[in-house]
Amino acid sequence: MVTIVVYKWDIINQLKIKENELEELLFNLKSEVKPVDQDHVEIEINNDRPDLLSSSGIIRAIKGLKKLELGEAKYEVKKSEYTLSVENVDTRPYAIAGIIRGIKFDEDSLKELIQFQEKLHITIGRKRKKVAIGIHDLDKITSKNIVYKEIPLNYKFIPLNGNKEITVKEVLESTEQGKQYGNISVKNGKTPAIMEDNGSVLSIPPVINSEKTRIELTTKNLFIDVTGTSLDAVISTLDLLTTNLAEIGGKIEQVKVLSAQQDFWSPLLKHTTLRIYSDYVNKKLGINLSTDQVVEYLRMARFDANVMGYNEIEVAIPPYRVDIISQIDLVEDIAMMIGYQNLEPSTYKLSKIGNASEKTLISRKLRDLSIGAGFTEIFTFVLTNDREIQGDYVKILNPVTVDYTVIRNSLIPTTLYFLKQNQHSRMPILVFEIGDVVIRGNTDTGYKNSTRAVYAIMDSKVSFEELQARIHQILYNLKINFSYRKSEHHLLIKGRTAEIIRDNSEVIGIIGEVHPEVLEKLGIEYPIVISEIYVDKLSGDNE
Amino acid sequence: MLSENEIKIIEYLKTKPDRTASAEEISKALSIPISSIYSLVQLLKEKGYVRTEEKKVTKYELTEEGKLRLQNGMPEEKLIKILNGQSKKISELREVLGEELEIALGWARRKNLIKIDKDTVIPLVNDYHSPELDLLRDPSKIDNENSKQLISRKLITAKQETFLLLTLVQDIAEPTKTITYITPEILRSGEWKKIPIKEYNVEAEPPFYPLAKKHFFKEFLERLRDVMIELGFTEVNGNYVELEFYNFDLLFQAQDHPAREIHDSFMIEGKGEVKDEKLIERVKEMHKKGWKYEWDESVALRLVLRSQTTSVTSRVLSSNPKPPIRTFTIGKVFRPDSIDATHLIEFHQLDGLIIENGFTFRDLLGVLKEIFYQIGIKEIKFKPAYFPFTEPSVEVYGRIEGLGWIEMSGAGLLRPEILQAVGINSDAGAWGIGIDRLAMLLFGLKDIRLLYANSIEFLRTFTG
Repeated sequence: MVTIVVYKWDIINQLKIKENELEELLFNLKSEVKPVDQDHVEIEINNDRPDLLSSSGIIRAIKGLKKLELGEAKYEVKKSEYTLSVENVDTRPYAIAGIIRGIKFDEDSLKELIQFQEKLHITIGRKRKKVAIGIHDLDKITSKNIVYKEIPLNYKFIPLNGNKEITVKEVLESTEQGKQYGNISVKNGKTPAIMEDNGSVLSIPPVINSEKTRIELTTKNLFIDVTGTSLDAVISTLDLLTTNLAEIGGKIEQVKVLSAQQDFWSPLLKHTTLRIYSDYVNKKLGINLSTDQVVEYLRMARFDANVMGYNEIEVAIPPYRVDIISQIDLVEDIAMMIGYQNLEPSTYKLSKIGNASEKTLISRKLRDLSIGAGFTEIFTFVLTNDREIQGDYVKILNPVTVDYTVIRNSLIPTTLYFLKQNQHSRMPILVFEIGDVVIRGNTDTGYKNSTRAVYAIMDSKVSFEELQARIHQILYNLKINFSYRKSEHHLLIKGRTAEIIRDNSEVIGIIGEVHPEVLEKLGIEYPIVISEIYVDKLSGDNE
Repeated sequence: MLSENEIKIIEYLKTKPDRTASAEEISKALSIPISSIYSLVQLLKEKGYVRTEEKKVTKYELTEEGKLRLQNGMPEEKLIKILNGQSKKISELREVLGEELEIALGWARRKNLIKIDKDTVIPLVNDYHSPELDLLRDPSKIDNENSKQLISRKLITAKQETFLLLTLVQDIAEPTKTITYITPEILRSGEWKKIPIKEYNVEAEPPFYPLAKKHFFKEFLERLRDVMIELGFTEVNGNYVELEFYNFDLLFQAQDHPAREIHDSFMIEGKGEVKDEKLIERVKEMHKKGWKYEWDESVALRLVLRSQTTSVTSRVLSSNPKPPIRTFTIGKVFRPDSIDATHLIEFHQLDGLIIENGFTFRDLLGVLKEIFYQIGIKEIKFKPAYFPFTEPSVEVYGRIEGLGWIEMSGAGLLRPEILQAVGINSDAGAWGIGIDRLAMLLFGLKDIRLLYANSIEFLRTFTG
């Protein structure tokens, strides 16, 4: 989720609402509000609604919710004299541009525009990889013909916040943005550039603008370029920017985009239409609205909607509603306009009886017996580090700390670690855990979970028999036919280790005293006897 | 009947002139762990062999400052030495003593060793030895009286320590004229009629008994399982290592979405496989149409530690199930994060799925309300939300006494695109509930890590 900080009085005054009403209205638009200071609030916006990433978009949406304005907001559009010639740029092939005239900025609105740009870069722009935006002071641009093309890295211009001409290469190496975004689109010693036809650079997408066209408080007219790797995303981004700016009084003018494929005018302010059926809405939500009511709610959600016939409605999707994919998305908007608090939850109906999984059933039985045998249950992490683990195990490629780098393939090491932590507690310590480990398996990932049970006793004096007697009774009560067979294990003392065998064939566990060498290595000063049981093999489910 | 160690302790106490020794001393002398000594003492006390007494002793330790003074001497002593019986100017002394001068003058004056006349220091003694230094050298000489000054000069710290003192009150050699244990022999011979039965100290606290207990958080998970089973859901399980295909792609999560980047899930080496070619084709189509980008099969085949139990729901959906279906899963999920009092990198989720003809959004709200009601959260509210795989989507907030409204679950109707891709013709709803933070709040824990505490004493003493 993204957050934006906005000047709250602007929103409150325009909507003529009380201060405390804003929180509730935004809650109904999927957003949460936190105060920042007396004048500003922080608003959480969901990834699907980039149109709400500036206060003008929020105001537009709430006006519908409050029935102050219904249906789609329409903006006047003129054609300008500006052109954008798009040449062949391999790394980010798409570029369009638009013009906004007659904006009056103050400090808050200018800050918000920069914030809007930045948040679009993160969301739709996928951190500028998919889309990048350049916003310029139109009046500082000298030519009417703008060009999008590749330029060499030794090309010179003054980057934003700079004071002298430097080469693109130096920009990439010396500026913060250069270091962060320089590797996205530079290829074969070339970078994409938006420039005037006289050669003066406006921006190096997706990295930085030029100082020449910096926007300031006095800026009234804007030239916006949008470049990227997806034409759809580039179009949506410019539509979002220009329509939200039109909400604060800007006049949209289109730029003629000249490309090898075809010429067109941008912003495209592209509309799509969707058919929605009121019985579909009713069926999905479990309510009973008339077709006219559905239309009314759609208009509150700021859509133009027309009844086409019995039950059928045609809805125009405005260019900035990029989240509307199919009619189910409109159903959600209708539900939001009704208000989730007004949708009464249905009474719960039991359809058939439920069941615990086999794993839960056996684990529950085992837990009861384990408690009866005197063991206290512990609960440890599945993630551990490879210092204590042997054999085949899953390694994490991107761990966040050295303590958790692998998934355990046995419960014995994590239990020994637990006991180490408790060697100064009151003895004796009898513990057990039933939990999953991950081992190699014949599955579509190559790995599978295996449920294990571990039992351990730590005291000033422990014996093999003391643990074995308890395990024996646990397994006996599971009605398993089992016996013991002399065995070896890298953590246990030879001659004091046994495998537990089921039906004279299958190994279902191991039991033994922990080797003093292991205790010494772990820094444990008390003897331990331990056993691991393979729970998967107790239930008859021996895959 | 006395055990070997009990006899050892009695024998040791007999060697002491006043038949008294501390538990620590006995532990060291007999090489028995102190924790065992405590339980042995308890037994000996019950049997009437020893009397115990807790004694508080103040122990003094040198501070860093104290150690420094022990090495370099006290400032006032140094001052007298420098003066060597002659008056000197303060400025002159400052050159030699530097910052220490003020302290030296202060204490020397207080101890009546010097007199100050304007800017001249006149010694009243020719030679001085600080008694403080002797105390610092041998802290055992420090008593209540002389400690005060040393503490106020920040040279030592005082610490209260409690000792358990044992005094032997009854020797084993003494013939017992009482019955300690009633044995079959005593019963058979009727001896108990002639000899009195020894009295116990029945008011004493008993020795420690390691009670076996179920883990409180595991019990909470079991309770959730029971709630779901009682509501008619069938439990399903999945594996921790999962294909991105089931963790993300099938759930309509775009491959270029920021949440799929390496830092939001744990990556595992290797590739998995999806045998259902048609399913791959349909998921590819769904992404192309919905998100308008080129879907990459090799990305979907990468392995991750599942970041949500919705991957289990995803597996159920792809298994060609026959509605009506109600399933749930409870299990661990893994997400990279920095671990602190409210964040863990592995935690639990409860995911549920209903596939039924005519299942509506209001039905879904009803299911969520019922689940939370059964858990004990009676007051909930719904907020519109966004999840890639559901539409309409909803977040559930629950009210917890004293904490207010807490976000508890994300839910929604499954997107028709997903149902189409897996070939299901019914309506479906799904939800996920984060469990650990909820458990932490309900148990009143301040630190989420306590759910997996590796202290046995915490588990022994925590009563939920």
